[in-house]
Amino acid sequence: MTRMNDNALKAENLTIGYGERTVIKDLSLDFPSGRMTAILGPNGCGKSTLLRALARLITPAKGTVTLGSDNVFAMDTRALARRLAILPQASKAPEGITVADLVRRGRTPWRGLFSPWSDADAAAVERALKEVGLEDMSERPIDQLSGGQRQRAWIALVLAQDTPCLLLDEPTTWLDLTHQIEVLSLVRERNRAQGVTVITVLHDLNLAARFYDTLVLLGPSGLIAAGSPQDVLMEENLMAGLGLSAMVVPDPITGTPMVVPR
Amino acid sequence: MTGKMNAKMTAGIRGGLILAVALLIAIVLSLMIGQIRLSASDLWTGLLTGKGPGALTLRVLRGPGVVTAIGAGAALGASGAIFQILLRNPLAAPDVMGFTSGAGLAVVCGVLAGTSLPMPLLSAAGGLAAACAVAILAIKRDGSQVPITLILVGLGIGFLTTAGNSFIVTRLPPEQAAEAQRWLTGSLAARDWGHAAQVFGCGAVLAVILAIQVRSLGLLELGDDLATGLGLKSNRARLKLAGTGVLLAAAGVAVAGPVPFIALMAGPLGMRITGATQPGGRIVSAAVTGAIITVLADLAARSIVPGLQLPAGVMTGIFGAPYLLWLLSREMEAGDI
Repeated sequence: MTRMNDNALKAENLTIGYGERTVIKDLSLDFPSGRMTAILGPNGCGKSTLLRALARLITPAKGTVTLGSDNVFAMDTRALARRLAILPQASKAPEGITVADLVRRGRTPWRGLFSPWSDADAAAVERALKEVGLEDMSERPIDQLSGGQRQRAWIALVLAQDTPCLLLDEPTTWLDLTHQIEVLSLVRERNRAQGVTVITVLHDLNLAARFYDTLVLLGPSGLIAAGSPQDVLMEENLMAGLGLSAMVVPDPITGTPMVVPR
Repeated sequence: MTGKMNAKMTAGIRGGLILAVALLIAIVLSLMIGQIRLSASDLWTGLLTGKGPGALTLRVLRGPGVVTAIGAGAALGASGAIFQILLRNPLAAPDVMGFTSGAGLAVVCGVLAGTSLPMPLLSAAGGLAAACAVAILAIKRDGSQVPITLILVGLGIGFLTTAGNSFIVTRLPPEQAAEAQRWLTGSLAARDWGHAAQVFGCGAVLAVILAIQVRSLGLLELGDDLATGLGLKSNRARLKLAGTGVLLAAAGVAVAGPVPFIALMAGPLGMRITGATQPGGRIVSAAVTGAIITVLADLAARSIVPGLQLPAGVMTGIFGAPYLLWLLSREMEAGDI
């Protein structure tokens, strides 16, 4: 049994910039182990930048990120890839590649350079395909799939990576509502079944409130609020973060906060 | 699922067979046709007994040229596929991006300076220098590099090195100038077994180095962020792959000159025939297709105008240039340029 907080991510005093422009300034945040956290905020507030820093894809000017008790920036690339997976925004599949070919590449961190394809690899790929409901389409080329199926194939890739930490950058963009719910449901299933820590950049406030345990709301000048959906989705926070004048009412189905713009 | 998988594998095997047979036919035709026409049975007798006109053709007249063409074409084709996968663009090929003419320039400069350095070394140095120039000039203000910028900067470097080549040719004495001009167009005339051994030796070493990196290529084509997330040191891996690609192209150039458009055409054509979608399959398809194109181009160059030996590069140019134009117009339509 691993310790409770092994898969918690912690950002400490992060400052990140591109050239002259500082996108994130002195930000400290906790992403609890085994919980689902959504990062919300207007375009350009640094949501994706924060997510990329958590996955070590970008090096901050100041501050650090820890996964469990390890400094992410001091870890071996491969060791990190076995503990944390990230699906970047809007990935484009190589021409003609099939769903199974794509998902199999998710096993890379677990395979040696010359080690053959193992039973564990096959089982992980099969399970990932089943979780996203593409087990019958595994030999279809990605470019022949619908938008929703395609997004599920990409998610299967990071599910096959089989990490206790899963980072997703806007996984529901360009999908219709039905498929957005489908994608978030399957991510939540993985979270509930295996206690995977999930961190997602998301746009839809109401879906975030429904599916996520913790919300982080960033505004144009930094952190506005972090905590439970009830604590974060408050009228004054929405105004401060998004410049949105809205009323917050209970969702008639789930009781979670629902944002109704005025 | 298994049924579909088998169907896919069968299609791949069929494509591979088509390529193998095409290569064999190209080789046999290339050995038979020339100033003196031989029959297949002449060649067969020559191969078995080592006597007669067939044997002479195999051993001295056409054999070395054909084997060199296979090696050079395969090296160029594989190199093209690497860059096309790496930059995810069918225009990305060492001949379009100026690497092969850079390699050619270094060789011609070496000859002009009267150096005793071996051709593959000169060629590799020139190719790497051109590639570095392209990589550095294509860096954007924020430090990133975009494939299409790399390709367009590469086109520019290509024009520059070609101009350099033309200039140097004018500085050479007449006989040497004609010889250099022919070589710079891409030619397989007067190749001996030394050339064949050289390109296959370099090619074999590079093929092993490439085989180790095929998995990284499969990750890089998913995008840098995802590749890094999957445990790859992306920048270093990309650098190594590009280096291997440049050296492969240089190995081809060292024996055949900067034959244009083989590297550009071999990848997409091979992929179309075998249906390969994984990097390993695409590279092998491209290598075999490159070999076929080169053997056929050399054959056509030798036999299309009776009594006149054209450089093979003239033939690849005739087919390659329209293909490049078509690709460019397609990319522009897609809004990538």
